[in-house]
Amino acid sequence: MAASLTIRKEFCSLARILSGIPYSAPRVLGHCAGDKKWITIRCPFHSSTVFSSTLSPITVTEEPDTLFQKVTVLVKGHDRAVLDSYEYFATMAAKELGISIGKVFEPPKDMERFTLLKSVHIFKKHRVQYEMRTHYRCIELSHLTGSTARVYLEYIQRNLPESVAMQVTKTAMEKIPEHIHEPMWKDEPTEEAHKPGQ
Amino acid sequence: MSASLTKAGFWRFLAAVGSSGPPGSRALHVTAAHCKNRAARVRVGKGDRPVTYEQALKPHDIGHRKGWLSQHTGNLKGEDGAADRTVEDAFVRRLMFGTFHGCLANEVVIKRRANLLTVCVVALQKLPPQKFYFLIGYAESLLSHFYKCPVKIDVQTLREKQVYKYL
Repeated sequence: MAASLTIRKEFCSLARILSGIPYSAPRVLGHCAGDKKWITIRCPFHSSTVFSSTLSPITVTEEPDTLFQKVTVLVKGHDRAVLDSYEYFATMAAKELGISIGKVFEPPKDMERFTLLKSVHIFKKHRVQYEMRTHYRCIELSHLTGSTARVYLEYIQRNLPESVAMQVTKTAMEKIPEHIHEPMWKDEPTEEAHKPGQ
Repeated sequence: MSASLTKAGFWRFLAAVGSSGPPGSRALHVTAAHCKNRAARVRVGKGDRPVTYEQALKPHDIGHRKGWLSQHTGNLKGEDGAADRTVEDAFVRRLMFGTFHGCLANEVVIKRRANLLTVCVVALQKLPPQKFYFLIGYAESLLSHFYKCPVKIDVQTLREKQVYKYL
């Protein structure tokens, strides 16, 4: 494995040098003829990239994964139809990945209105009104691990449509710290026993 | 009859006085100010002027029968950058109008997704394809240098402009 790796690395450096000087290629790779020399120059590139992608590691750490009680994804947009299709896509992705979906609902839309003068100069009585509508969609997912949440959110975010924004709220669960486990009043008899000693 | 005259009444009186002269004389025609909406509207004419779907529908149809020409998150509630996006849009539209001069069949559609700027153009087949490809590459590289972001231009071509109505 290591030997083949070193051979491939040499090929890569060769290929990099040769790509700058194409006319010298036939001399070095004399046994290859015609188009094959280009293929053999390209293969090391491709195989090196393939190698690097397979070598991109899956990290295994000792720390336990964060647990999320609830992950809320709030999507905002101007177009309700776009949000409908995005919600269908997100819920289908969650189902395929086996993530339990809490509830999917639509908060009421927000309309930002303002009134401006219609004319450039005078005519105060004639105005124009504009409004900007923001529609929302909320997807709540429950009981996820940190890595699942990261993968799902990255997938969702890479496929976010053009005029749509997203806000994510995560509710994490932590272990109760040990000094809170036992109530304080249980320690009192031992303290009273210590006091006369002091 | 009360002696006081309202403002409209004064103008009507003047108009009546003006129009009651002998035939062939000039008259005074006055009306009160009627500020009609003129934004993004093509005025109705004789019926010989071809007009595309985009031009025929009024701005109040946006979201109902019309789509958005520029799609970004700047105008959503709680989001920033609306003014910057608008200025960029204006610049991009002028650049497209100038680069593909006389070849644009419809308005340019601008979409933003994360860092990527996509400009969608519907063009007429007035130039040979090689010139089109050159113009697309030129516009893409210029815009990407100006805005420091990847720029993609999607071009679709038609033989002639699609007419929706004659106004």
